[in-house]
Amino acid sequence: MKKNRLLALALAGALTMGLLAGCGGGGGGGQTGGSGTPGGGDKSNSGGQPSASVELNVVTSYGGDDGNRKQYEAAVASYEAATGNKIMDASATSNEEWKAKVLTDFQTGTEPDVLFFFTNADAEPFVSAGKVVDIATIRASYPDYADNMRDSMLAVAQDGKNYAVPSSGFWENMFVNTKVLADCGVAVPGPDYTWDQFLADCETIKAKGYAPIACSLFEVPHYWFEFCVMNNGTLEGQLDIPASADDAVGQKWAAGLNDIKDLYEKGYFPVNTLTATDAETVDLFAVGEAAFLIDGSWKVNYFVDNFGDQLSDYAISYVPAKGQRKASEAIGGISMGYFITKKAWDDPAKQKAAVEFVQHMTSDDVMSTFVTTEVTALKNGASPSGLNPLQQAAADANANITGVIGAVQDTITGEAKADLFANVQNVVTGKMSAEDAVASAIALN
Amino acid sequence: MGPTLYRKKAPLVAFLLPAFVFLILFLYYPFVQNIINSFSHINGLGAPAQGLNDPWYVNYATLFADPKLRTALGNTVLLTLCTVVFQVGIALILALLVDSIRVGAQLFRTLYFFPIVISATALGLMFNLIFLYNGGMLNQLLVNLGIAAENIDWKDPDHFLFTMFAPVMWQYVGFYFVILVTGLNNISQDLYEAAALDGCTGFKRVRYVTLPLLRNVLCTCLVLAITGALKVFDLPWVMFGAGMPQDQGWLTGTYMYDQTFNRGNVDYGSTIAILIVVLGVLFSNIANRVFKPRDDI
Repeated sequence: MKKNRLLALALAGALTMGLLAGCGGGGGGGQTGGSGTPGGGDKSNSGGQPSASVELNVVTSYGGDDGNRKQYEAAVASYEAATGNKIMDASATSNEEWKAKVLTDFQTGTEPDVLFFFTNADAEPFVSAGKVVDIATIRASYPDYADNMRDSMLAVAQDGKNYAVPSSGFWENMFVNTKVLADCGVAVPGPDYTWDQFLADCETIKAKGYAPIACSLFEVPHYWFEFCVMNNGTLEGQLDIPASADDAVGQKWAAGLNDIKDLYEKGYFPVNTLTATDAETVDLFAVGEAAFLIDGSWKVNYFVDNFGDQLSDYAISYVPAKGQRKASEAIGGISMGYFITKKAWDDPAKQKAAVEFVQHMTSDDVMSTFVTTEVTALKNGASPSGLNPLQQAAADANANITGVIGAVQDTITGEAKADLFANVQNVVTGKMSAEDAVASAIALN
Repeated sequence: MGPTLYRKKAPLVAFLLPAFVFLILFLYYPFVQNIINSFSHINGLGAPAQGLNDPWYVNYATLFADPKLRTALGNTVLLTLCTVVFQVGIALILALLVDSIRVGAQLFRTLYFFPIVISATALGLMFNLIFLYNGGMLNQLLVNLGIAAENIDWKDPDHFLFTMFAPVMWQYVGFYFVILVTGLNNISQDLYEAAALDGCTGFKRVRYVTLPLLRNVLCTCLVLAITGALKVFDLPWVMFGAGMPQDQGWLTGTYMYDQTFNRGNVDYGSTIAILIVVLGVLFSNIANRVFKPRDDI
């Protein structure tokens, strides 16, 4: 009996321990030890300890069909080969859901060690919560950290500190399918392209049986929102946030939304623009079934990787302008960078490895594989080599750009942004007025 | 061993304790916390509550005024009805057909059960390709056969219910099929032989012998199907995302997820979660009463 009782207790104990073991050890896959002692700036942790065989959890937006994915993977491989460390990569495609997931990871304590993320208002929740380490603190232990970057181009958080080491910048502009335009007898738009010319071209293209504009209004209406807002205002006032739907800025936003509605009602978007994904509509453009696509510099390498044999069918042009805006004015800047989390900084086993990883990914050599036509914060500039036809087209278009401003969507909260862009489909179908959509978003900002 | 094993309760308690602790930690504690959250003001997942809402019941009042939630409830109830009719119905027909064949029954069991073992995400991606507007399998088939003159947008307001429900039905038919086939196998062949002697064959045999004897198994399937339909989330989310098309495609599960994870409206998401639990308890109680297993079978 004693034996049975002992056996029963042992089994029950094992079950309980198994349960508790499952609950404990919140470090996650890559944790390699270290008691997580506080004191990130402790110099005894820096420099001296070997960082070999450290596993770093890294999250970036270079996953999925990102145009720089190959370059990112090559850079990670060269870091692993040079250091012997292992990168546990959990990169994904950047969209609103991904941003929400990253923020959730911070809130639930499962953030990565190194994060490549937006440096604007999107980052404020984890910056203000003290979940990432500022560059000045890191430089106190590692003086050469990010010293190849122009300090004036580092993003400044609301507390006045710099946290992210900038990667390559971006531009947003209009891609055109030259084959479709040629078939329709429409000229490739120049830097003086007007909204009226654009509407006339769309009508011609539509009559030929093509979709004039490749865009998923369900998933990525924000490119058109940015430019339509600027078309109803000025470059200088692009980053103004409305206090209400009735003020001048609110009316500018509503007018921008109504311009998108006008394009929708004229049938210039794909038939399934309210149910298609971004990937579907980009594919429509790529295979020559749509003429115009507003997208960012990251899309250039997407076309290079997936449609490399028909790059001459695409060109970078200018988004049509109206009002005070010129078509040569575009959206651009540096909006993303590498953050080191407090969790990794406080882990003696990971601190140096995380710093080395960011230094490697933002070194002049590695950055030159990412930067082709984009803005860069490198002091020495990037030295890209062998531009392909599409990259050359982008460089040519950029040469005519007369003004660049950041995206206004980057200055509002994630909740307001999600609400605003989710309501675009309701605005264009007449279920909601543009003014109500603006008011709804502003209430959440 | 012997009778003392059952007299002394300590070993039984010791064995029950881990599961009990597990339930307390991962079911009851989060549930109670969820109720508290539904009355609190929380702006992000994991963020601390900023006191109680003003008024404290505001989220429950919002439930009644929220048109998207009304849409979600309507779609979920419709999905539940479709589940009962099509999922269990088709499973029953398939089970009766497979039960009546001598060769290949095991093969059909495996084939019909197979969708259950594929992840919902993979299935969602697969069905996205099937229903794709440009170059999707279904549109190519219909256009090439001349059934449709042009591509059909299977996710538009006219077609989305079929596109959303069909994969969900298809995925779980095999599950109920296997349960029903097992139930059919438990019916004694003697009864069928006796019925045959009385001239009861074919459809009559199904109507007067098989179905009455399968009643309890069928009831279990219906209760499982109804409660399962209320929790459907993954497949519709992969295929339709946030409310596609035009906020008409919400289910209670997808709406709760969107509010909590994408909008950061955690307290309202918690309120929707409680509504789902209440509905689940209500529906399963009704189902249990309506489809109560009979002891005389």
